[in-house]
Amino acid sequence: MNLLRLALRNLRREWRLPELRTLAGSLLLAVLAMGVVATLAARVERGILASAAELIGGDIGISAPQTVPPAFVAEARRDGLAIAHAAGFPSVAFAHGHSQLLDVEATDDAYPLRGKLVLAAAGHERNGHGPAVGTVYLDHRALVALSLQPGDTLQLGGKELRIAAELVQQPDGGALVALAPRALMSLADAEQSGLLGIGSRAHHRLLLAGAPHAVQRWRTWAERQTLPQGAELVTPEQTQERMRTAFDRAGAFLHLTSLLAALLAGVAIALSSQRYARRKTPEVALLRALGTPHRRVLGLLLLTLAALALPTALIGALLTLGAAQLAWHFASVLFGGIPTELPLLPVLGAGMMGLAVLAGFALPPLLRLAEVAPVAVFRQSLARRVRRFDALYLLPALVALALIWSQSGSLKLAAILAASLAGVALVAALLASLLLWLARHVAPGAHPALRLGLAALARRRGLSVVQATALALGLTALLLLSVVAPALLDGWRRELPVDTPNWFALNLQDEQRNNFTHALARIGADQLNMMPLAVGKLTAINGRPVDDLHFSDPRAKESADRQLRLSWADALPPANLVVSGQWFGARPAQAEVSADRMWRDMFALKLGDTMSFDVGEGHIDAKVTSFRQVDWSSFRVNFFLLLDPAHAEALPHTWLASFHLPQGHAQAMAQLSRDYSNLSLVDVDDLLARIRQIVDRVGDAVRWILAFSLLAGALVLAASLAASAAERRHEAALLRTLGARRAQLRVAAACEFALLGLIAGLTAVLGSAGAGLWLGHAVFHIDNFVPPLAPLMLGALGCAFVVMLLGLAGTRKVVRTSPMRLLREG
Amino acid sequence: MSNTPRLVLDVRDVSKSVHGPEGRLDILDGVGLQVAEGESFAIVGASGSGKTTLLGLLAGLDTPSTGSIRLADHALESMDEEARADLRRRLVGFVFQSFHLLPALSAEENVMLPLELEGDTQARAKARAALEAVGLAARRRHYPAQLSGGEQQRVAIARAFVHGPRLLFADEPTGNLDQRTGHHVTDLLFALNRDHRTTLVLVTHDVQLAARCGRRIELQEGRVVAEARA
Repeated sequence: MNLLRLALRNLRREWRLPELRTLAGSLLLAVLAMGVVATLAARVERGILASAAELIGGDIGISAPQTVPPAFVAEARRDGLAIAHAAGFPSVAFAHGHSQLLDVEATDDAYPLRGKLVLAAAGHERNGHGPAVGTVYLDHRALVALSLQPGDTLQLGGKELRIAAELVQQPDGGALVALAPRALMSLADAEQSGLLGIGSRAHHRLLLAGAPHAVQRWRTWAERQTLPQGAELVTPEQTQERMRTAFDRAGAFLHLTSLLAALLAGVAIALSSQRYARRKTPEVALLRALGTPHRRVLGLLLLTLAALALPTALIGALLTLGAAQLAWHFASVLFGGIPTELPLLPVLGAGMMGLAVLAGFALPPLLRLAEVAPVAVFRQSLARRVRRFDALYLLPALVALALIWSQSGSLKLAAILAASLAGVALVAALLASLLLWLARHVAPGAHPALRLGLAALARRRGLSVVQATALALGLTALLLLSVVAPALLDGWRRELPVDTPNWFALNLQDEQRNNFTHALARIGADQLNMMPLAVGKLTAINGRPVDDLHFSDPRAKESADRQLRLSWADALPPANLVVSGQWFGARPAQAEVSADRMWRDMFALKLGDTMSFDVGEGHIDAKVTSFRQVDWSSFRVNFFLLLDPAHAEALPHTWLASFHLPQGHAQAMAQLSRDYSNLSLVDVDDLLARIRQIVDRVGDAVRWILAFSLLAGALVLAASLAASAAERRHEAALLRTLGARRAQLRVAAACEFALLGLIAGLTAVLGSAGAGLWLGHAVFHIDNFVPPLAPLMLGALGCAFVVMLLGLAGTRKVVRTSPMRLLREG
Repeated sequence: MSNTPRLVLDVRDVSKSVHGPEGRLDILDGVGLQVAEGESFAIVGASGSGKTTLLGLLAGLDTPSTGSIRLADHALESMDEEARADLRRRLVGFVFQSFHLLPALSAEENVMLPLELEGDTQARAKARAALEAVGLAARRRHYPAQLSGGEQQRVAIARAFVHGPRLLFADEPTGNLDQRTGHHVTDLLFALNRDHRTTLVLVTHDVQLAARCGRRIELQEGRVVAEARA
């Protein structure tokens, strides 16, 4: 008979077997968990990227020191993209005898294409677009500095403009740093008044937005074009460095949650396929005894599995689409107004991964099953001969590794998780074996219920070890998701405390330092930190002019051409770590410099190299004596290059101050700005607010994904506990026949599962705390991160309790098994 | 004072029906029997005649649809499953055709099982004595897979007797054994029955085995069609 037809018939007959249903259910769950999480993660990631688009004001753009060539606009039109133009420049505004330097953005009325332009007038906030001809929007600082209100007029670029509204929030090219008070005017007015003419310092931007594929098409085309001198593509990924860190961390969090859900599913599949193989052993032995060749038995088994798996994976994928849509319906409130279509790729990927996991975890027992000796038909014990080392069982480990690798998107994250989970598996297996050894040697003196529970564990020695290991892995994943991930998020949040410096003052002169410090203290500013700042240029390395040097890293040439900011300090500043060499000693004989690792790599620097800088009229040759790792995500003033103070103090310099000032001091800052007219005061509140918003959004998203993963985990735990249901029913029938009370069986089961849960819980605490510590430092770069041990311990106890409850719930039916079952079995 | 032995089983007009896909199926119909203390009693009949169902009802593993069963003066039909389990633990032992030993427990641990359920602190010593009685003292640490069929059944007999039951139910006790081993096991069963004054109720196809019992009944389509004494 055709093997396929036989397999289908086999499947139809076996469909009533609980383990086959569990196998199908686990696969369905695997696809669903991976699919929903991956879809949600992909959408959230897309949502986060869309948040970046909000910052840019479009999905993509070009920023150039001159008008963007028309070819780029024409191509965008062909691709059906929405187009907006903008230009930014500094200009002085006049009103009521006051003058104020403003950071002006001139835009057309299509601006912004993404994100919100929030305006306020007559006490009401509204979303708007670029101002109409003859009107202007001013931010609060500008209004205060010029003593104006919406409705008043001012002079800007020789034109009289009416203030139509207060500018509350605008997408700002990803800079997020306001050097001066801001104004938004019409592009037509700016062009007419000659503000954008030849010689102007305007920076032009072309902003585009549209369907993702159209944006990608334009991007691919634009990347092949030669951009004008000084122009660059502005993409959501290239937003400000600190924002990038935020986005990268967000991505890592989401990948972590989706990866753990996938592993939970793998555990479920492994357990149910083992159980299926055990159930099939006598049947296969019979087939073999009746003369069916090994190859045919194997073919039959594989085809039966495939006949089950393919439709299940398909149903799983379809259900995922529905569930993902539903999940998004609830989760989209986090990313309101950002259009994101349902991505099909993660669903397809989840289906494929589900099948891969099924193959990886179900094949080893099935392949071994096909090898059952025909003689096992007489003596079942022969069928269970276990090899000491079975290379085939490396397959699930390899599949798990591949899964970790493909889902984590980061080698480091993958390695840490794989090592932690392998450690957890090993410790759990050892602990479980130890408990079983104790059961044999210590149990006779134990309480009868505990003794029965231990005996139950010992009866299923192999399964108990597998169950404890599976539970420990599952619980580790759940603890990582439920306790460690939120703690990591908290750690991240703590990096931006409420008193993080939100203002920077540039160009402070030596003689102004004292007065400025007092002035700040008067208006309630704190966290003041000052560092010297010298602006210079790198001229030579080891005596060879930089113009003559060739660097493989293109950024090196760019940095060498630019003006450099240099500073100096006695002590190693916070958020800096010397990774090689020595920090400056007191008064070194020769000038010394400490470089950031990025500079070391860009310029291929070595300790002992000499770097030469021109600073104003001064010149300095400094020996590289250390390399530093700088945490650029910290909101501290940091420098790529730090000189030793003994030699650098003589260089022409100003001071850079950072401080924290609570919001609502616009009037005082305007006064400070007038009193120190040479200073540039930079407000980074917007940037801080944005990063806090991202942390919060990621926190919300992780909570959503966590809810799904928890559900997947709970179902997987239940599936793993169901693995021993058939044996339990048989035993329960025997014990009931021998007169065991239901309560006795229940207490014994409670002891058994509580012990299992305790082993799994303790191992999971160790595993998740270790992995959390490792992840916090190596992947999320959160300083001084300590996993919360008390909640983890509580979590472990809770887990043991839940395992006990689930076990009891699972054995409820078993306890009611009719003792007649035994007589019917013979 | 009467010399009539006390009844340990008193079955009156017992019927058992189940509802299947093809409607009601009568498995037992109006069965009545009495078994006195210390008696050996065989239930014989062809496959499907209702022997196993009757054994299950007599041992309190199931309840009849109609009729009454008194086991050691306890009316089973008025007891719930928990109370019947209690009764079984105290008064009843079982020997099955497939032995039903737990594979992960040693011979000794299997025998200890009924005592442990009672919380007996002398479980191990009693189990050793029971294994000695069936001639398996030397194999007490062996696991079922390491024992022959006959040895497994002897362990099962030791388990059945270890807590001193008043009634022993045996379901085809030699069904899975060769003739010679079957004889040994039967001898053992009857010897223990005699020594402990245990009442023995067994279900069998084996005419010779049935003939060794003091009394036997034959079932056909759920009815008692013949009754004989040895």
